[in-house]
Amino acid sequence: MKGNIQEKEKRIRPDGVEKVTGKIKYLTDLSFPNMLVGKVLRSEYPHAKILSINTEKAKQIPGVHAVITHEDIPAMNGFGLVTPDQPVFCVDRVRYIGDAIAAVAAESLESAEEALRCIEVKYEPLEVLDSPEKALHPDAIKLHPQGNICHKASYKKGNVEEAFKQCTYIIEETYELPRQMHGFIETEGGVFVPDEDGGITVFAGTQHGFKDRFQLSRILGIPETKIRVISSPMGGSFGGKDELNIQPYGSLLALKTGRPVKIHNTRVESVRAGIKRHPMKITMKTGVDANGKLLAHKVNIVADKGAYTTLGPAVLDFAVEHAAGPYMIPNIDTEGVLVFTNNGMSGEFRGFGGNQVTFALEGQLDRLAERLQMDPIELRRKNLRKETDLGPVGQMIAPTDGASLVLEGVSKLMNTNRKQQDEQPWIFKGTGIAIGMHGGGLGKGRIDHAGGRLSLAKDGKIEISFGFEECGQGLVAVIENLTISELGCGKDDIRIVISDTDRVPISGSSTASRSTNMVWQSLKRLKEPFMKMLYEEAAELLKLPEDEMTLGVGGIWLKGRSDGPCITYEEMARKSEKELSYTTNFHFPITPTPDAIPGAHFLYTFGGIKVDVEVNGLTGKVIVTSIDHVISAGPVVSPNGYVGQIEGGGVMSLGYTLLEEAKMIDGKYASENFDTYLMPNIVDVPFDTNVYAIEELAEGDEYGPRGVGEIGTIAIIPAIAKAVHDATGLWINKLPISPEELLNHMEQKGMIPWVLNKM
Amino acid sequence: MSALHYENLMTLSVRINDEKVEVKVPPTLSLAVILRNYFQLTGTKIACGIGRCGACSILLDDELVNACLVMAYQANGKSITTIEGLSKLSLDEVQEAFLKQGGYQCGYCTPGMIMAVKAMFDRNPHPQESDIEEALAGNLCRCTGYGGILRAVKYVMNQKHY
Repeated sequence: MKGNIQEKEKRIRPDGVEKVTGKIKYLTDLSFPNMLVGKVLRSEYPHAKILSINTEKAKQIPGVHAVITHEDIPAMNGFGLVTPDQPVFCVDRVRYIGDAIAAVAAESLESAEEALRCIEVKYEPLEVLDSPEKALHPDAIKLHPQGNICHKASYKKGNVEEAFKQCTYIIEETYELPRQMHGFIETEGGVFVPDEDGGITVFAGTQHGFKDRFQLSRILGIPETKIRVISSPMGGSFGGKDELNIQPYGSLLALKTGRPVKIHNTRVESVRAGIKRHPMKITMKTGVDANGKLLAHKVNIVADKGAYTTLGPAVLDFAVEHAAGPYMIPNIDTEGVLVFTNNGMSGEFRGFGGNQVTFALEGQLDRLAERLQMDPIELRRKNLRKETDLGPVGQMIAPTDGASLVLEGVSKLMNTNRKQQDEQPWIFKGTGIAIGMHGGGLGKGRIDHAGGRLSLAKDGKIEISFGFEECGQGLVAVIENLTISELGCGKDDIRIVISDTDRVPISGSSTASRSTNMVWQSLKRLKEPFMKMLYEEAAELLKLPEDEMTLGVGGIWLKGRSDGPCITYEEMARKSEKELSYTTNFHFPITPTPDAIPGAHFLYTFGGIKVDVEVNGLTGKVIVTSIDHVISAGPVVSPNGYVGQIEGGGVMSLGYTLLEEAKMIDGKYASENFDTYLMPNIVDVPFDTNVYAIEELAEGDEYGPRGVGEIGTIAIIPAIAKAVHDATGLWINKLPISPEELLNHMEQKGMIPWVLNKM
Repeated sequence: MSALHYENLMTLSVRINDEKVEVKVPPTLSLAVILRNYFQLTGTKIACGIGRCGACSILLDDELVNACLVMAYQANGKSITTIEGLSKLSLDEVQEAFLKQGGYQCGYCTPGMIMAVKAMFDRNPHPQESDIEEALAGNLCRCTGYGGILRAVKYVMNQKHY
């Protein structure tokens, strides 16, 4: 059996030819005349007082045009998507190894680097709070005025303590999940070009150009209308470029020098300064009755925030929301705390806290199934939500049978007659399954505006415009496919306009798996009024009845005629004196439950995974030999993009499960580049991966295709852990899975007798 | 105060994509930087700078190398093919395969990946799985999970009717 969406007709992505020929200009590839090179000086310590900053020597370096510190910020010295508590430049204290202290602009990279070396900063090192436990100690130094607790979140239902008394089996485990690097291949960077009127054009990758513009306006002290943000294409983001990174420094330097400034982080700079996935320690106590009915679920989540807030509170809310996943549990008590530390900075990352908590939740289900001696699929089936059941935090959600569909899909993939390989007795094979769900959009209580615009441009192209960004996910293909299918025009009739704040309407961020869905919903709203506008205009120009007209390839056609359009788009644009344009604005669908907890979602995507693994008894290494994804996200809009997002997400989480940990020692990164931070390469992945798309939506669903940007990353983590257990009997509670732990376990269990025989 | 110590410049004389060029550069400057900054050949990407990701893969006298690890003096007199040189008239079959099979997403690793696939097929038109793993192990892709890349490789093999 093969994945079911690979045979469909595939259109070549609009950005495809440029990408395979290397001709596409990423924003870090741009050059402008008279351009300077910018560099940022970052902290030498994870935690220290700044006693003094002296830039005099640096300013004397030949070729240096500006050296700036906090004293050079015209307006607000802070940024952050929700809470602007990250200083652009530190004033008297540094809180993590990426904190910025100064920046320089020079004529060459060499001059800029020399200038950085000449900036004299005197520090007084402070105690490094390198764990949430240390930071929560009553005597711990406060990292922020409010203390070291950044955020708390909880959800309670029923009475767990009473319910545990009714349980036949109770499993209590603590799961530890590491810090992961986004590992986008293009590091952060861009070019900042000052305008003659005191404004600036920012060419830098981001997931939300308008939000960058807003934040830059506060820092630079100039109105948003004088800032133009051009924000894609990007060489990957995965959440890692949603927060401002180099933009404040590039902008300040460009405005100070009056010249274009380019900044492009090296990998080491990117690692030090950039956000990472939140490490979490999750304790779960889950109880079940003798029949396998889940009765009680008590969850405690401690997440390591690092130095500044970023989107951490929303990530914690998301983890709390998804703590019971797709299971109906009558008694739930989930509490989460997000703790400031000096451990780098955590933030938004694909999966958004769902990955960590689903690893724990599915681990609980598997352990309970073992205690009950029940098939893990059967245990899940008994407790799964049904089409119109409430969501995981008791909120109303759009009806969906996704949970059951992916579980049954995975169940069909289970091969009952597995054979153990005999030729290599040190190889242990195992199979694991898991399921997960993932909310789309920002959720209850958060402004989540969407929109878009359709226009007939003066050159006769139908322009479809959104404020979304192409991070690599294939958004442009989604827009092209949907526009052509909704309007009925040809590929060459349209022009996609995105990621330029001067040219596109506000349509929210390219995050939370929302863009595909928002493009679809926008087109539903834009289509009729826009087409009507064109028909009316054509009717007037041609003196023909508008109800006989239909949009087609090349122009407007008369129904029933096949000899060509009655008016081409180009003629229409030339002859019309009206502005033929229609814009829509709306809000991402949210749950109608009024008291739903913050961030609770309304639209969900579901994913099920089956993996096979081989555990090597000699090395402790785990190889994933097959991955099957079953995804329920509604209709597939762009087959290559869909498969790519799911497979790519799966492998990213395979890395999280088996290889990746951005380890910190005393607040400093143990690995600063790809020589020691190991992301999966082609050797680490199975050659055959199948993606099965369940395209049906609940009857009467009016919300369209759900996003698939994150769901591929969720269930694979617990599925691999279960497969390793299947192979070796070891329950893994801490990621990445350690070969040493596996070897110890296998040795203790006497699983490699041929070694013992030799002794 | 330390002044800047520029190395003595050398005249680098190379053929890039079949065109003979000369440029004055520090002898130890990285070829990846030279291609990007002196010749605007920005299809060659720099992502790790230490030869671990393969984004800067090019052909140097038909050998696949990480351009970030080659210094100017080592490239002198040699012939360089970058991604831009692969499709002067029409797309190379490897590019065509990547395009059709979704062998890219963000596209930032793609030029290096295509150069590596190209070098593999030039050397070995009948690669086995282990050959493919060996040939591409030095090129990281964070988007595709390698699925689309593997389908592109298989597509090239099928096109050749092997």
